[in-house]
Amino acid sequence: MPDAPHPTLIELRGVSHEYAAGGQDKDLILSDINLAVAENDVVVLLGPSGCGKSTLVRIMAGLITPTKGEVLYRGTPLHGVSPGVAMVFQNFALFPWLCVRDNVLLPVGSLPPAEQQARLEKVLATVGLDAFENAYPRELSGGMKQRVGIARALIAEPEVLCMDEPFSALDVLTAETLRNEIGRLLASPEHPLRTMVMVTHNIVEAVFFATRIVVLAAQPGRIDVVVPVALPYPRDPDSPECRAIVEKLHAILTRTNLPDTAVDAAKVVTSKVGDAGRRIAPVSLPYVTPGEVLGLLSLLDDSDCDIFLLAERLGKEFGAVVNVVKAAELLGFVDTPGQEVHLTALGREVVGGSTDSQKRVVRGQLLKLKLFELVLRLIKVQENQILPDEELLRELQAALPHQKPRPLFRTVLGWGRYAELISHDQRRHVVRLYEHRVPGRARHAPVNLPPAAPPTEGS
Amino acid sequence: MITRHSSSVQERPKLWFEAVIILGLGALVLGGAQVASEWRQPLRQTVDIDLSVWALPKYALFSLARGWIAYFFSLLFTLLVASWAFYDERARRYVLPALDVLQSIPVLGFLPALVLALVALFPHSNAGLELACVLSIFTGQVWNMAFSYYDSLRGVPPDYRMLGRLYGFNWWHRFWKIELPFGAQGLLYNSMVSMAGGWFFLSITEAFKLGDQDFRVPGIGSYMSVATDRGDVHAQFLGVIAMGVVILTVDRLVWWPLVVWSRKFKLDDFGSGVTEQSGLQRWLARSRATQAAVQFFGRMFDRLVPPPKPPVLNTGTAAVSAPTAPNRLRQVIYRLFVVVLVAGLAWGAVRLVMLLIVVKPGDWGEILYCTALSFLRVLAAVGLGTLWTVPVGIWIGLNPRLSSRLQPFIQFVASFPAPMIYPWILTLVLLVGGSLQWGAVPLIMMGTQWYILFNVAASAAAIPNDMVSCSDILRLAGWTRWRKFLLPAVFPGLVTGWITAAGGAWNATIVSEYVQVGGKLYAATGLGALISRASNDGSFPKLAAAVLVMAVVVVGINRLLWRRLQTVANDRCRFLA
Repeated sequence: MPDAPHPTLIELRGVSHEYAAGGQDKDLILSDINLAVAENDVVVLLGPSGCGKSTLVRIMAGLITPTKGEVLYRGTPLHGVSPGVAMVFQNFALFPWLCVRDNVLLPVGSLPPAEQQARLEKVLATVGLDAFENAYPRELSGGMKQRVGIARALIAEPEVLCMDEPFSALDVLTAETLRNEIGRLLASPEHPLRTMVMVTHNIVEAVFFATRIVVLAAQPGRIDVVVPVALPYPRDPDSPECRAIVEKLHAILTRTNLPDTAVDAAKVVTSKVGDAGRRIAPVSLPYVTPGEVLGLLSLLDDSDCDIFLLAERLGKEFGAVVNVVKAAELLGFVDTPGQEVHLTALGREVVGGSTDSQKRVVRGQLLKLKLFELVLRLIKVQENQILPDEELLRELQAALPHQKPRPLFRTVLGWGRYAELISHDQRRHVVRLYEHRVPGRARHAPVNLPPAAPPTEGS
Repeated sequence: MITRHSSSVQERPKLWFEAVIILGLGALVLGGAQVASEWRQPLRQTVDIDLSVWALPKYALFSLARGWIAYFFSLLFTLLVASWAFYDERARRYVLPALDVLQSIPVLGFLPALVLALVALFPHSNAGLELACVLSIFTGQVWNMAFSYYDSLRGVPPDYRMLGRLYGFNWWHRFWKIELPFGAQGLLYNSMVSMAGGWFFLSITEAFKLGDQDFRVPGIGSYMSVATDRGDVHAQFLGVIAMGVVILTVDRLVWWPLVVWSRKFKLDDFGSGVTEQSGLQRWLARSRATQAAVQFFGRMFDRLVPPPKPPVLNTGTAAVSAPTAPNRLRQVIYRLFVVVLVAGLAWGAVRLVMLLIVVKPGDWGEILYCTALSFLRVLAAVGLGTLWTVPVGIWIGLNPRLSSRLQPFIQFVASFPAPMIYPWILTLVLLVGGSLQWGAVPLIMMGTQWYILFNVAASAAAIPNDMVSCSDILRLAGWTRWRKFLLPAVFPGLVTGWITAAGGAWNATIVSEYVQVGGKLYAATGLGALISRASNDGSFPKLAAAVLVMAVVVVGINRLLWRRLQTVANDRCRFLA
């Protein structure tokens, strides 16, 4: 590995980025990122969804100008797109009106035709597309499309190849094939491309490629740990060395995503809503549906499980599974010592219960959350006990400024409806307490069949 | 934190708002009575138009009522004919091309026949003339709505149709529960375009000459035409403002709430607990007055048609297993309907031929020459329109914030009937030393370029973000960026825009090549001017010939050029899902 020090290609200094999230509120995506990519580095950005890794790679490519901080390319500040960077996109970003040949030749249009032809033949051979020169993107399978995307990135002979989840849109087998081919490129000494920045949520994929793995934490996105991987290419993911690093990453991701403390803060400690209770900000509910949590519980019924094994078994992104587990933990249905996920006694009761008793338990647990206490209190202080959506949104945003108000609103509605705590009038855009018998003038018919889990539309 | 907001009175609108709604409903009833009494008046061919400000609200009401009655007919026609074309395979083969041809016939092709027939039908009441006016507005509204609804009928996923059959839906439930929800968005968008199309010829439909007969009904269109005739700029100005107010009011009070409402029928967009909504709309939804009204109509509908009986609930098995006998009566009625229709068409064809054989060869020559000139004007208008709308449309489409800010403005400009300000533009053209021969081109553009702008902007807005990033990172710049990326990306929208714009441009030649300002007539040599003049002079053979030629040209260009371009655009330039 690196014998002599290699020159730094991309350097981020104190980079932060925020999106204007409607109105004057800003959504902080990335916070104070410092990162340098040197020649021959393969940097993999790993983290749960929503940690801003896609934004980060776009900032490195110069596609997005960060709201704060500096981006340097070979020591000079970057304005606009990086000169030596090519990019491979998750959804390929091929031009449907151009055939494979024209798509691949796009970045080298200024070269003499003979040179273009020579490069084209070479790069098509590299990715195994020789016979597809005249095909149009819509004739190709997903794997073939991504090969075109890679060929188009390689033909410009970039100094850095950026890849934003390049295998996520492919089926498992195709992704495996392509992964191995990129691995072979990195392993072959004659191929000029040595420097890559890659975004992924797949831990094994990260270990397969990286010389350095940058683990990001979410909300706001920031660098948690950098894990160096000093193994020669090609790597075997099943080798003990690789497995050791995978285990290490598991531990890190569990620590950052499933902290063992902190959950208690979500619960209302005392029942009286005194000043002491109000000081503690409510903890948000992860944006998951009751159905997802119940599904997790019934999956855990027969065996306690490692969270990574769980993600693998569900074929889901690690971050998504973590969110479900966090929600279940918040409600007291599971316990997470380390990477393990265990059902609690309460969780077991839910799994064994009828639909009605499940709802009753969930209702009881929701009522212990400060978040729901806030929502219910908001409804109760209204005259007529009818709370307009916009009011609830505003209050949620005030109470939890780091959360996206709309997804949070949807999540609260979904749980509240499931537990028969609140009901929502989609037409008048108001929230009220759920009542089995509605007295007097409010002419909204009591629903005999309580709405099923998530707020899906049934017309 | 909670006590601070406990004064959230916007929960329910205040009492005055309820009062406003009730007043509004009352005004609606009163306005209806006003319009009805106008219709029952004895026939006055030429009503005197009062050019004072105070007369304008009444005229606006009359015009608005005509527009909405015409729209009601359009909606009825759309639902009936589109369903007919969809469910009757044999009829479809004739209905769709017929709609295509009818779409290309300008309003002056229908107006004379409608007026003469209906005035003859109601010799003693205004109703005939009013009805003729309404029906000619209808001919400017209906066609694109019918096509849109037919398309959405075809687009209903078969699963939903099967579901309807399983639950024993009859046509009524199928319509409300399945077909209308799927068609709502397309129908609504086309309704807005149609309303604008109906207003476009307002100054013709409300005031026109047929030979020595002068017909005029009270309304903003006739107000404008009288004001223009007399060269009263003050009144013209007032008329334009009144029209603007009418359009804005309809947009805010009718279209905008409906657009928000129709979003709930978006199949892919489920679970979005909160939708964008204007404050006014939220108030409307929460007002007790509206709720009472909605519930009243809802109950009425429910009583009208009993709920469906799912086959599962049928207790007897006989009803399930019995083969449904073909309904004899229905078949007879249908055959009778077809016979009457065919007979009517045959009679119309004979009349048309009788009109056409009178047309002299020299007149045919003139018509063809005029067609060629108008063709060049249409080409120039569409070409010039494309030159500025494509870059601007792309710019707007790629900037979401900009487009949300400009949208209401552009929509207003596009739905304003351009002919109302033709006199001003023509005066400008004459001032810089032009003539109507060239000046007609900007006049045509005024009415048609918006379709290109809309469609290009919509296409540009639909470009996936990653494609824009990709073109940046590939350093596509300058002409290459346009040629390899932007132009192909908006090409499908551009073609759709072209089709609508070109069709509209041909129709617009009628008002653009023949303009009256201050009692003086300006006419260019062209098919539109020829049609206008033939109608004014009451020379029906020539009018029929010219209208026929225009329809043939429009349909021909559609078939030979636009359809093919559209196929190419859809095959090659759609982004992959």
